[in-house]
Amino acid sequence: MPLYEDVFNEQQTARGYPLFLWKYLVALILCASLAPVHASVRSEYEIKAAFFYNFTRFVNWTHLPDNESPLRACVIGDNPFGDLLEPLNGRKSQGRKLEITGPDDVSADHGCHVLFVSVSEARNLSGIVGAAHEQKLLTISDIPNFIDRGGIIGYIKQGNVIRFEINLRVANTLGLTIDSRLLELASRVIR
Amino acid sequence: MIGRWRLRYWPLKAKLLFLTLFTSTLGIVLVCASLIVVENQNYRQRLESELHVIAGILAEQSAAALVFEDNNQLTSIISSLRRIETIRQACVFDATGSVMSSLNTLESADCPGILEPPPMGFVGDYYQLLVPVTLDNETVGHLYLVSHLRALRAHIQTFIVVVFGIGALIQLALVFVALKLQRVVSQPILALSGTAERIAQEHDYSIRAPVSGNDELGRLGTTFNEMIGTIEQQNRRILESRAGLELIVEDRTSQLSLANKELEAFSYSVSHDLRQPLRAIEGFGQALEEDCADQLNETGKDYLRRIRAASVRMGSLIDGLLVLSRVSRQPLENQRVNISGMLQEITEELKEISYSLPTDIRIQSGIWVIGDGRMLRIAFQNLLENAWKYSSKEVQRVIDVSATADSRFITIAICDNGVGFNMKYVNKLFVAFNRLHTPSEFGGTGIGLATVYRVIRRHSGDISAKSEVGNGASFYIKLPVLTDQH
Repeated sequence: MPLYEDVFNEQQTARGYPLFLWKYLVALILCASLAPVHASVRSEYEIKAAFFYNFTRFVNWTHLPDNESPLRACVIGDNPFGDLLEPLNGRKSQGRKLEITGPDDVSADHGCHVLFVSVSEARNLSGIVGAAHEQKLLTISDIPNFIDRGGIIGYIKQGNVIRFEINLRVANTLGLTIDSRLLELASRVIR
Repeated sequence: MIGRWRLRYWPLKAKLLFLTLFTSTLGIVLVCASLIVVENQNYRQRLESELHVIAGILAEQSAAALVFEDNNQLTSIISSLRRIETIRQACVFDATGSVMSSLNTLESADCPGILEPPPMGFVGDYYQLLVPVTLDNETVGHLYLVSHLRALRAHIQTFIVVVFGIGALIQLALVFVALKLQRVVSQPILALSGTAERIAQEHDYSIRAPVSGNDELGRLGTTFNEMIGTIEQQNRRILESRAGLELIVEDRTSQLSLANKELEAFSYSVSHDLRQPLRAIEGFGQALEEDCADQLNETGKDYLRRIRAASVRMGSLIDGLLVLSRVSRQPLENQRVNISGMLQEITEELKEISYSLPTDIRIQSGIWVIGDGRMLRIAFQNLLENAWKYSSKEVQRVIDVSATADSRFITIAICDNGVGFNMKYVNKLFVAFNRLHTPSEFGGTGIGLATVYRVIRRHSGDISAKSEVGNGASFYIKLPVLTDQH
C-alpha cells in the first residue's frame, strides 16, 4: 500500500527523531484503520485470484478465431487457490466465458488459453514454459523470477503488497497483446 | 412626455441624427447581447464536452489501476489534472463506492458520497461531473470531477468587453456615416426652408429653391418653385394693375380738380352776376316804397315789403355762397392766431349789434393756433353768431369757450345754453342749405356751418357737435398743432 512507502520515504528524509517517531505513529494508526478495508480482510490468494481474472481482461489473444469462444484457464500443479477460482468460473472476460480446469500434463493440448503454474511445478518450469510457448498460452505464476525464465506474468510481493511483472517480449512473440494500462501497473516489464 | 415635447423643437439635423443613431445603437446592443448569450451557451457546451472528454480519458486510463487497486497509479493518473487549471477536485471511487484516490487543487474538500450522488452539471460556480469507470461493460468504479467556472466568467467578461468595444467602434463609424448621410435628407429640406425664409424676408419672388433628385423632396422643391412662380406672376399682375389704377386715379383727380375749379369759378361768377339784378330789384323796390307809397294800398305795401325782405335774404345767401367759395378757393396763409383775442373782438361786435338780454360770456384766455387768420375769423364768427342767435330766447345768455390740447391737436369747445338741436340730424348740420330751424324761428341762410366745416377741413382739422333739444349745443373744433408751415 502507498502508505508504507510514504513512511519509508519519510524515514529517509526525516530531520529529527521525535518528528519521525510521531509521523510513524500516525502512519501506523492510519494503517490500522485503513488497511483492513482494502487488503487485510482478503487473503493473499484471494487477491491473486482477483488479479488472475483481471489479467485475462487486459490481454488480447490475436490468434483466437472469434471474440465469443470461451477462455479456458488451466492450473497446473498443486492448486494454491483452493476453491477461490471457482467464483471465476463462468465469469465473462472481454465477452468470453471463463472456464477453469486443472490439466495434469501440459504437453497435451487441453485447449487452454491461460495457464497458472503452481509453485509445486517449479522444477519442471522450463518444460512447462516450452510447451506453453508452443501452445501460445498466457502463463501466470507466483514462482519467483518467473518472467526471467520464460513466463509472461509473475506475481511478486513487495512488502505486504501483491504486485506483478510482465515479460512483454515473450507475450509479443506468442502473439498476445497486453494492454498498455496493465503494463503501466507492472512493477517490472521485460521488453 | 417632456422628452417627446422637446423632440419637436429639435433641429431637423439633430432629429435625423438621433433617429439614425438610436436605431443603430438599439441594433448593436441587441446584436451584442445575443452574441454574448450565444457565446455563453457555446462556451458552456465546450467546457462541458471538454470536461466529459477529459473524464472519459481518465476513466479509461484508471480502469486497470482500479481493478488492480493500484493507488499509486491512480494518484499519478489524476495528478495529471493539476495541469488543467480549472479542475478543483477529482475523486476516484471503486466499485463499492469508497474513495480510492482524490485530488484537491485549491481548498481541501472531502469527496462526496457516491451512494447519494451530488447534483451534476452546472451548480453555482462549479461544474460537477460523475462518470462510471467501465471495463468490458462492467462498472469497476467512478470518477468525480469538479471544475470551477472562473475561466468561463473571465472568458465571458473579456468577450463582453471585446463585443461592446467593437460595438462602440461600429457606432462611432456609424456616427460619421450618419453625419454624412443625414445631409442627403436634411440638405434639400434646409435649402428649401432657407429659400422660403429668404423669400419671406426679402419679398423677392424671383428666388427659386434648388431641386435635387426625383424623390418626394425633389417633388416638394419643384412644387414649391411652381407656387412661388405663380405668386410672382400674380404679384406682377397686381403691381401692373396698381400702376394702371394709379394712372386712372391721377387722371380722374386732375379731371375732378379741373371740374371743381370750373364749378368754383362758375359759382363765383354766378353769385357775383346774381348781385346786379338783385341790387336792381332792391333798389327799385326801395324807390317804389319811397316814391309811390301813397299809390299802394296795404296789400300792395305788404307785397312790396315781402319782395324787399326776400331780396335781402337772397343777398345774404349770395354773400354766404361767395364766402363759401372763397374759403374753398383761397390759398391758406398760415400764421399764429390768437383765438381768444379774436373771439373777444367778435363778441364785442355782437354786443354792439344786439344786446337785448343779460349775457355771460366766458372765453378762456391764451388760445393760440396756427392757421389763416381771415378764414378762422369767418369760422369763429359763424360759430359765435350761431351761439348768440340760438340762445337769444333764453332768460340769460351763457356762452363758454374753452380749449384742451395734447401733443398733436388742440380742441376748442364753444358751448351755449340755447335751444340746441336733435342729435338725429347731426349729419345734416354741416351740409350747405340744410337748416334745422324754420326761418320764422331763427333767421339764417344754411350756409354758415358749411363754411365753418370747409374752413376747419382746409386746416386739416375736424368739427363735431353735441346737443340736446332745449339744453344748449356744444361745438368742438379740433385743429392740428402745427409749426409754421403749410
